[in-house]
This record gives sequence, C-alpha cells and structure tokens, in this order.
Amino acid sequence: MRIPPGILIALVLIAPAGAAGRGTTHTVIIEGVQFSPSELIVHPGERITWVNKDPFPHTATAANKVFDSGSIAADASWSYTVTKQGDIEYSCTFHPTMKGKIKVQ
Amino acid sequence: MKTLLMSMTLLALSVGVAWAQGAGPTDPQIAAIVVTANQVDIDAGNLAKSKSDTKDVKEFAQRMITDHSGVNKSATDLVQKLHVTPESSPISQNLQKGGDDNLAALKKLSGHALDKAYIDHEVAYHEAVLQALDKTLIPSAQNAELKALLVKVRPAFVAHLDHAKRLQQEMAKVGG
Repeated sequence: MRIPPGILIALVLIAPAGAAGRGTTHTVIIEGVQFSPSELIVHPGERITWVNKDPFPHTATAANKVFDSGSIAADASWSYTVTKQGDIEYSCTFHPTMKGKIKVQ
Repeated sequence: MKTLLMSMTLLALSVGVAWAQGAGPTDPQIAAIVVTANQVDIDAGNLAKSKSDTKDVKEFAQRMITDHSGVNKSATDLVQKLHVTPESSPISQNLQKGGDDNLAALKKLSGHALDKAYIDHEVAYHEAVLQALDKTLIPSAQNAELKALLVKVRPAFVAHLDHAKRLQQEMAKVGG
C-alpha cells in the first residue's frame, strides 16, 4: 500500500511528539541522605537514573513495588524506565527517612 | 548503663569546654575524632550483630557497620589526600573510652537487656556526635574539603538517630 506524501510528512511531524520521552534521562542525585530532586515529573518511556554520591549504599524502592534498585553502592548508579502514568512514592529501605516521588504524566 | 551515659556526658562536656574556651580542635585532631567516632560505632555494631537475637536490631547494627565504614573510608581517603596525620585529643580519647566501656558492658548482656543497652547507647552516641559536629567539629574545621565532608555526612547521623529512636520506642512497647 502506498501512503500519500502528505500523510507521510504529517507522520514524521507527529512522531517526535508521540514518542515524547523516549531517550530522555532524568537524574536523581542521592547525597546527604536525600533524593534530589525529591519530586520528578516524567513521561512514560523516559528513564530515571539515581546516582549515589554518599559514601555508603542506598536504595530507591517504590512503595507500590513497581521498582526496587536493591543496594546502590557508593559512587554507583541505577536506572529505571517508567512505563505507565501515575504517581510513584519511593524511599530508601536502608534509611526510611529518605523519600521521593515520581509523577508520570 | 550509667557508666555509658556518663561517658557520653563527658564527651558532651569536653566538647562544650573546648568550644567555650574558643580553642576548637585542629584539623588533624578533627580527623582522629571522625575516625574514632565511626570506628567505635562499627565495633559496637559488630558485637550487637553477632550477639542479638532480634532481626530489627541485627539489621540496624549492619546498617551502622556499613554506613560508618563508608564514612570512615571517605574520611581516610581525604586525610591521605590532604596529607593530614590524625592526632589524638581529649575528645577522641573520650570517644574511645566511651566505646570501650560500651563494648565491655554489652559483652556481659544478652537477650532483651543487650538489645536495650545497645539501642539506648546508639541514641545517646548519635546525639553526642551530632552535638559535637554542630558545636565543635564543623565550626572548627579549617580545610574546606574536611568541613564539606563533615557537612555531607551529618544527615547520616540524623537518619541513624531517628532509626535508633524508633527501635527504642518499639522496644518500650514490647515490654520495657
């Protein structure tokens, strides 16, 4: 089947918006026993990387269990690609006073 | 337990006296204080982890071992980089004495008494170290990187204190 050139152009123009988020990485710095930023707004398909700058391990663990980094060693990082919309509350299981939130829109 | 609290009071007093005289510790003395403060808590953690029968207490002890070992590693790396030789002072000596007394007391205990003594001491220890950080160590540190390290690790002591207090409250509920 042949697609008329006009529609092809439209598809190309729409494509980046439709794929919004893919290839985008957000960084959360873990330092001083805190997630920074503590709240992040992302879109499905986007990736979040937690970088641990503290001299001891932490975790990024979702309350609703959608992700759990396990132990992220000092100077190490861990990434997660968000899949669907909704709010995710997360914390560090080693230091429960550390809390963060991801809003997937 | 009285001895332990007394050694903590002594630490607080020695910190206070040094501060009142305006003669805060030097950077080499601060380096020794930081290393000693972490090491005594690692030692207590190792003892509690091996002697306690309580899952929460063992996990807390492991957290203390891991976190304070990490802080000590970055402190040691920094003093080597800065060519600072840690130097003993009344504060580091009091910390060591408090740590030794604590270990000696914990070794004689078991079961709930061990858990309670360990966690009570952890609360007192972290409160004393936070006081030392705020009133003496951070204000006295001359080298910017040393000061930055102290500021950076301070929240870990706050988180540990919070964790220890929570365990203390849970134990009080379970049966004093």
